[in-house]
Amino acid sequence: MTNFFLQALAEVGTPSVLGLIVIGVLFGIVGGSIPGFTVTMAILVVFPFTFAMDPVSGVSLMVGVFVGGYSGGIVSGVMLGIPGTPSSITTVYDGYPMAQKGEPGRALGIGVMASFLGTIISVAVLVFFGPLIASFSMNFRPWEITALIVFALTLVAGLSNGALLKGLLAAALGLLITTVGYDRNSNLRFDFGIPALGSGFEILPVMIGIFAFSQLLGNIEKLKDEGSEAKNIDTNVLIPYGRIMKDMAGQKLNTLRSALIGSLVGALPGTGGTVANFLSYDQAKKFSRHPEEFGKGTPSGIVASEASNSAVAGGAFVPTLALGIPGDLPMAIMMGVLILHGITPGPMMFEQNPVLVGAIYASLLIGAVVMVLCNLLLVRWFAKISLIPQQILVPVVLMLCAIGAYALNNNLFDIWVLFIFGIIGYLLWKAEVPLTPLILGVVLGNNLERQLFRALELNESWLTFLTRPLSALFLALAVASIIFSLYQDRKIQRSKTAAQQENL
Amino acid sequence: MLTLTKDRALALVLLIIVAVMWIESGDIRPPTSWQPYGSALFPRILLVVIGLLSLMILVRSLLIQVPERAGAKQLLKEWFQKRRVIVAIFLLFGLYAALLPVVGYIVATIGFLVASLALLMGINTRRKWVINLTLSFTLTLVIFVIFRHGLNVWLP
Repeated sequence: MTNFFLQALAEVGTPSVLGLIVIGVLFGIVGGSIPGFTVTMAILVVFPFTFAMDPVSGVSLMVGVFVGGYSGGIVSGVMLGIPGTPSSITTVYDGYPMAQKGEPGRALGIGVMASFLGTIISVAVLVFFGPLIASFSMNFRPWEITALIVFALTLVAGLSNGALLKGLLAAALGLLITTVGYDRNSNLRFDFGIPALGSGFEILPVMIGIFAFSQLLGNIEKLKDEGSEAKNIDTNVLIPYGRIMKDMAGQKLNTLRSALIGSLVGALPGTGGTVANFLSYDQAKKFSRHPEEFGKGTPSGIVASEASNSAVAGGAFVPTLALGIPGDLPMAIMMGVLILHGITPGPMMFEQNPVLVGAIYASLLIGAVVMVLCNLLLVRWFAKISLIPQQILVPVVLMLCAIGAYALNNNLFDIWVLFIFGIIGYLLWKAEVPLTPLILGVVLGNNLERQLFRALELNESWLTFLTRPLSALFLALAVASIIFSLYQDRKIQRSKTAAQQENL
Repeated sequence: MLTLTKDRALALVLLIIVAVMWIESGDIRPPTSWQPYGSALFPRILLVVIGLLSLMILVRSLLIQVPERAGAKQLLKEWFQKRRVIVAIFLLFGLYAALLPVVGYIVATIGFLVASLALLMGINTRRKWVINLTLSFTLTLVIFVIFRHGLNVWLP
């Protein structure tokens, strides 16, 4: 284990790769600090630049964006009182009040340090559990993998904002998209007489189209509803290092707990930073001796939020690398990056590409250090950049998406795929269909079909899925997750009607 | 006359798509002795799932009472009017994709950026024009240089 890690460290330690990590972190922080831009969008925009790179360089750049992105929400959260990403909503609860009390530098410093420690702890979790889960899942045969993918999809579908039917619908649509073109037996499907459809849709333009258009155009719509006002913010921030060190010294337990919550949530499919920061903030409040201080600018609140959302980065890699099943959107895209570079994430990766796995560990660690330095030294610039209006951002990002889609295969058809799925994604988003299960379906579709039929070719009875204990367990969990979210839906509906009746 | 709602529109559109794809799935090569399940089975399972879920959404949306509103045509017209800017951006993007192979990356990209920035930012002050043009020209060229010389990717 140490051997391949050292080898990976040597590869990541070259000036060019280190430079890429710095660029990635910088871009991630910028992406994370612009409200409405999100980590996912930052990753999508950077993705095309990795096409021509070797796997280690490409992956290091992307990991840098991850680490930077999850910390980037601090800047806009503290300075503007607007969470830069949904994963830093609870950072605003205490970061903004602290800044308003005249200590923005302290709030930023605490947030950055918590982010750093969160990332480091989550890497430890990844290094420990990744290979463990991978070696366990080496025993998985097609039945287990099929059942596991079904479970991951139902879980994500059920967790998406209390709309189970639409979540399942989205997942099925995502899977259906992957059936266009030649299949595993070289049979043509759904080409509608159009030759370009024969090779099917590339995952990347589909993902970018579905996600980017709905997100960016949604931002424009929100702008219209709320009206944009120019904020004047003092970006001159001093960082009181001594004070921050003292603050952090009193937060050891909180940091550890929040980072572990973040890693765990990150490792579960369908959750991610948004859930992590709420959960850990809530736990920190429950364990605190001064819960009344939460929301008024306590360091504990900032630590809980930032340590947990940054820990998601490491945790989310566990299922992606060990099982080949990404848990959330950024990871689904990360998996796309790996596949593009000819690497199939999954248990075999630890055996076949140990250096690349080590490179991911190493870039996470180096990225964390770079993130702290960048945030502390360049905070004024990030605060300024986070004020870039959406009106400028949207055209620029759309253009970058188009070029990215084209650069994938030097193929103009991919820009049309991007465009068509942009329209589809926007309309589905308008119809309140959650898009995460759809994108996960697109990423997992081919593997699901392959595994399902491999299982059936090995044993033609469908009942085998239920007689093999692990596959039966995963399917039972899938059913349980559906029942649970049905129950949740009911509860939400009931409280809605109750609220309506009270209003009457 | 039934009022059109989001859920009803979604379910109806999806049911139409399912029907079309089901018919199209008839063109897929049938199962053979060495491919006993055939290539149409997997997509057909998905089509059944999507169809059932759409039906459930449709039925559920019919059970909820909604206030009577104007006809579907009127609603769609209002929907588009409210989202004129969004529709315009989609059109600009489509135009961009169409023009890329004809006029090349540099001209098409500058055109797209100038037009969409003008649409979103407005063109009522000189300052906005300066920002618009500076950004469009520099960004287009910077991206061109990065891709062509840094990454060896040829843009159209």
